[in-house]
Order: sequence, then structure tokens, then C-alpha cells
Amino acid sequence: MHLELENIRKVYDQKVAVDRLSLSVPRGVIYGIIGPNGAGKTTTIRMIMNIIAPDSGRVMFDGKKADISFLERVGYLPEERGLYKKMTLRQVITYMAELKGCPRKTTAGRISPWLEKMGLIEYIDQKVEELSKGMQQKLQFITTIIHEPDIIILDELFSGLDPINVELIKGILMDLKREGKTILFSTHVMEQAEKLCDNICMILDGKKVLDGKIGDIKSRFGKNALQVEIEGDGSFIKQLPGVANLTEFNNYLEINLVDKTDPQSILRQMIEKVKVRRFELAEPSLYEIFISTAKLDPKELENQAGEAGV
Amino acid sequence: MSKIWVVIKSEYLQVVKKKSFLIGIFLIPALMAAMGPLMVLLASNSAGSTQYLAVVDQSGESVGQEFKSALERYKLDDGETHAYEIIGIIEVLPGDSAAFVSTVDSLTKALNDEEIKYFMLFRQGIEEADSNMALVTNSESFRTISRFEKVISRIAATMRLEKSNINLGIDSVLALTQRVNLPRRDAQGDSVNFDTKWGISMIFVMLIYFVIIGYGQVIMRSVIEEKASRIMEVLVSSITPFQLLLGKVFGLGGATLTQLLIWILMGAGLYFGSGAFATAINPGIAKIVFNPVVITFFCLFQVFGYLLFATLFALVGSIVNSEKEAQIFVAPVSILLAVSFAIGILIIQEPNSTMARTLSMIPIFAPTLMMMRIIFVAPSVTEYSFFSGILGEAILSFVLLLVATFFVIWLSSRIFRIGILMYGKRPTLPEIIKWVRY
Repeated sequence: MHLELENIRKVYDQKVAVDRLSLSVPRGVIYGIIGPNGAGKTTTIRMIMNIIAPDSGRVMFDGKKADISFLERVGYLPEERGLYKKMTLRQVITYMAELKGCPRKTTAGRISPWLEKMGLIEYIDQKVEELSKGMQQKLQFITTIIHEPDIIILDELFSGLDPINVELIKGILMDLKREGKTILFSTHVMEQAEKLCDNICMILDGKKVLDGKIGDIKSRFGKNALQVEIEGDGSFIKQLPGVANLTEFNNYLEINLVDKTDPQSILRQMIEKVKVRRFELAEPSLYEIFISTAKLDPKELENQAGEAGV
Repeated sequence: MSKIWVVIKSEYLQVVKKKSFLIGIFLIPALMAAMGPLMVLLASNSAGSTQYLAVVDQSGESVGQEFKSALERYKLDDGETHAYEIIGIIEVLPGDSAAFVSTVDSLTKALNDEEIKYFMLFRQGIEEADSNMALVTNSESFRTISRFEKVISRIAATMRLEKSNINLGIDSVLALTQRVNLPRRDAQGDSVNFDTKWGISMIFVMLIYFVIIGYGQVIMRSVIEEKASRIMEVLVSSITPFQLLLGKVFGLGGATLTQLLIWILMGAGLYFGSGAFATAINPGIAKIVFNPVVITFFCLFQVFGYLLFATLFALVGSIVNSEKEAQIFVAPVSILLAVSFAIGILIIQEPNSTMARTLSMIPIFAPTLMMMRIIFVAPSVTEYSFFSGILGEAILSFVLLLVATFFVIWLSSRIFRIGILMYGKRPTLPEIIKWVRY
């Protein structure tokens, strides 16, 4: 199924949450919507899911206006998680699948394999409230995909999951992609998007600022990024001629160069003052692209990531 | 349609499988059975022990003495102990007002110290004016007053008779003025027992009331839970809010029907299964309970009264964020029901008055008021008409309830679909009105 957004716009009171956003999500790709908190990611997803109506613009599935019959073929994991606490795992999975039009008998055969994969099989007839929070997240992920939707929409999928479960779910997403499913997910953690996505769309203050295949975007930004590891104080580097901007991590720096700057001259100037352990000309990371596009202060972004518990 | 069915099934099973459902099935009839004898006890209002009193007699004609011997016929429940014990008759000469005042003072003190419960004052000429006597007490009892009035009326009548020239014995005169006790029959020729009708109508109406309040709150809580846990977001991307609302209301409605059916089967089983129970049941009760009009409308008013109020409760659930917040909205809904109860007690004095007829047509009152009127009137009528009389009125009242129910469901679904996705601030009334129009 092909998902398209046409100029969707949503205004809350005076604030423009999403501003004339268009997006085309082709079949069988993993598409990341990235942006800082409050950029409009969740509002966009809610409009896709027909939970809120856009003030203007359209959401289309296969060229037709979205309605419940299309939404049956979509699996949706909201940002804030929750399930029926008093139901057993089996009941809650069956019920959620039934609501999406998947008959009980079909679901029955799928429950055990999925619970097995997620390490929840032993709890199959226990109540949801007996599970830990992380387990409940995995269970909710199962309820999202149990009806084998064509499009899977995941809002901040990884928040609150430990690294082992993040890997587990990433693996499942790759499998689903191989099966031809389309996966759309939002995140503010660039590393995840970079590793998983084929395409990304970056939103800032409700507006799309970047959209396309990751490879295309990166090559558009050119090979003018330096990844450098040094010993000593690297603060002087910012002042060197040809350095557009610099992102500093402990002993590791990412440097964006002004076009047509010779990296060799930068290296020469550096070894005069500090010990250089690694010097690599690379494609910019998504993080750098994000920073330079958003013109955000990197510290601010890290604070946001910290608050979200990532 | 099939999606509504999925919700109905899930909501139904969630309630029916709970232990509380099973407990309710037995607990509610048990509670009512226990309340029956309690009400009889309260109604009989019997004084448990002998009441002490004193008499100040200034009549000069031994009225006190006659009063004392007349009271001796009132006994306590054991049939032996006197209900009233006169601890003293203080005779004061008709002119001696100083002695009268001091006697009254000391008896007033005894009354305040609770040594006596009453004292009677008889002055001269009680047969001429009621103002020549008085009962002094701090705790009035209807029964005692009516007994005293009866006894004193007879004493005064005797005195009047003696002073007149009529040459008849007191008993023959009293026989002449005997009060009649009007026998009552209904159109079918059966004697009518007000208490029986009253008791049955209370039981039926209370059943309706408990089911509405109980299940209404269950619906409200489940909507609040889905809203708070954000399951709602997944739900509304799977089904329409209207389907969800109907599914919930009908699912729980199914649970109430199951409960009713079990009660009816239990009652029928008891009635037909046990001969002793069938003979023990008062024919007056059987006549009301097994009346087809009563049974039909009990089921209709139960189901549609439930639908009307359950939808309102679901609506409340959709516009609040927590159960605590919901209480503010639940109060008016509960008060409406309680008010209809109170009105019921009043209008049943005159079940066919214009006020009773009018109020029982109002949909929010119909499940209680119309039901009471049906119980009071329907079992006694010989002929039913679909267009007039109690059956005609019941049908009209039910149709109005039906219309109101569909209107409330429509209105609620307009508010529900927006309310369920609103978090944080509780909406104001103008906002809610805007949602209806949107």
C-alpha cells in the first residue's frame, strides 16, 4: 500500500503543529520521521491514523482518501503505551486483532510464535498487569503487527526499551521489510534512524526540512565531514580557516568543512598542536546533517534525548 | 456491524466472567429479601416496652380514672403486658390554680428526666371544648396519639350523653355512630392491598435503579480506562467511535439481560419447583408479578432505561480524565434518578392524577414512575386498550423513552468521538456544544 500525505496542516489554538506537510511513502521501505520534541511528528502520525482530522490537506492510501477499511491494513503503536490490564495476553492480542478485522481463528495460530519470539510465551494466560513495563511494550508491539498489516506505524518505538530488546525489534523490523511491509516510524534519536531507515523525513516546527533516501541526502551534503580523534585541547580547531562548524564529543570531533577546503591543510595545522590518533574524511552523519539543517545547539538536542530516557 | 459485535462480545465477557457478576446475582436478591422484614418491622412501629405516664385531673368528674381503665386494653406484642402504665393520677380541685401549676411543674421535671414519657392534663369541661385538655410530651408517636384520641372521644361522648336528655345506653349510641371501614375491590372483583402493591413496586423500581447505576458506572470506568491508557488511539483507528459507544452500551446491556434472565429463572424455578413456595406466595403478589403488562414493561423499561442512562455515563467517561473528575458529572445523573424515586413516593398516593400521568411520560422519569403506576393500576384493570388507559399510557411513555434514548445516543456519539481523544483540560460546556455541531 502506498501512503501519501498532501499538504496536511493542523493548527492548535494559535500554534501551527504541522504546516503543509507532504510525504510519499513507497511500498516496502523503512521511513523515518525525525525531528526534535514538539516538531509535529506525533500530530502527523495521528492525522495519518485518522485520530485527528487535518485542518486542510489529505491523507491518501493507494490514491484514495483514508478510511477505516484502509486503516485495517495499518498497524499503529502510539507514543504513549497502554493495554487492557485485566485481560490475559492471549485475550488482548485476540481482541486487538479482531478489531482490525482479523478473525479469532487466524489470530490463534499466530499468537504463540510471536510470544515465543518476544520471550513472553510463559505469560500467555497471565494478566497484562503482571508484566513488567518493558514486557508490556513488547506485547503492545505484537498487538500492532498481529493482523499482518501492510503499513506499520510506530511512534517513538524504542523509547523505554533496553538495548537487547531494541536489537530484537530491529531484527523483526528488518524481517517485516523483507516481507514487503512498509514501516514508518518517528524518533528523535538520529543514530537509530540512520541505522534502520531507507528514507527519512526531517520535520522542524511542523515543516518538512529534508526528505529523501538517506544515501541521497548524505551525498547531497557531500564528503566534507571530518571525523577526528585527538589527545589534547581541540578548541582552537573551530577558528581554523575552512571549518564551517564543529561538534565536539569528549575526545572525538566531527568537523564540517567549507566547500573546497583542503582537508590536508587542516590536518597539518592540527598536528602542530595536538596528537591526532584518527583522521577520516567521511560522509556526514545524520546527526550532523540534522544539526546543521536545524541550526540547533547540539547540547539542547542531547538534553531532549536524555529527558526521553534514551 | 461486525466490529460492533466484536466490542459487544468482549465487553459482555469481561463483565460476565468476573466474580463480582456472580456475587451480584445472589447478593442483590438476598439484600432485598433481608430488607423486606426490616421494612415490616419499621412500618409496624411497635413500641418495645411499657410507656409510663401521669395524669393531672382537675375535671372534678374522675376523668383520669376512666382514662386509666380505658388504656388497659392496649397490650404489648406479648398480649399480656400493658402498653401504658399510669404511675399516678393527681386530682386537683377545680378552683385551685396554685396547686395545678406546682403539679405541672413537677411533672414537667419528671418528663425532662425521662421518668415519664407523657402526662395528660384534664380540666373541667372536656366534653365542651378540646382546649380543656392537653397531652404533654417530648416524643410524639402517631399511634399513641390516635389511641388517646379514641379513648378520650369515648369518655367525652359518655359525658355529653349523660348531660343530655337522650335516654339511651352509651353502647347503643356508639354503635349508631360506628365508623365504617370501607371495603375495596378492583375491577376484577379482587380486594386490593395497598401495602402489597407498594412493596412490589419498590422492589421492581429498585432493581431498575441498581442495574442502571451499577452498570452505568462500569461503562464509565471502562471508557476512562481506555482514555487514560491511550488504548483509545488504537481503538479509534480500528473502529468508529459510534461503533465503540454502541458496542460498549449493548455489551453491558447484554450482561444486565443475563442477570435479569437468571433472576426470572430463579424465581420461576422457586415458584414452579417448590409447591410449598407456590402456596406460600400471596395470591395478591402473584396477581401483580405474573401480570403480562407488568412483566413486559418491566423488561422494556429496564432495558431502555439502562440504555438511556448508560449512554449518559459513557458520555461522562469520555469528557473527563479520571474517575475523581467524573464524580462531578455523575452527581447530577444520580440525583435525577434519586429525584424520580422521591417523586414516585408522592405520586403513588394518586397514581392516576394529572401530575402522575404527566411526570411518568418524561423519559428520564419513565423507568421508575411509569413502572410504579403500571404496578398500581395494570393488574386490576379488566380490559386493556392500546390507545388509552394504563396500557395506552405505558406504550406512549415507552415510545417517548425510545425516542429520547436514540436522541441521547446520537448526541453522545457526537461528543464522545471528540471527548475520548481530549486529554488534560476538562472541556467547558460551550466547547461541548461546539463538538455536537462539528
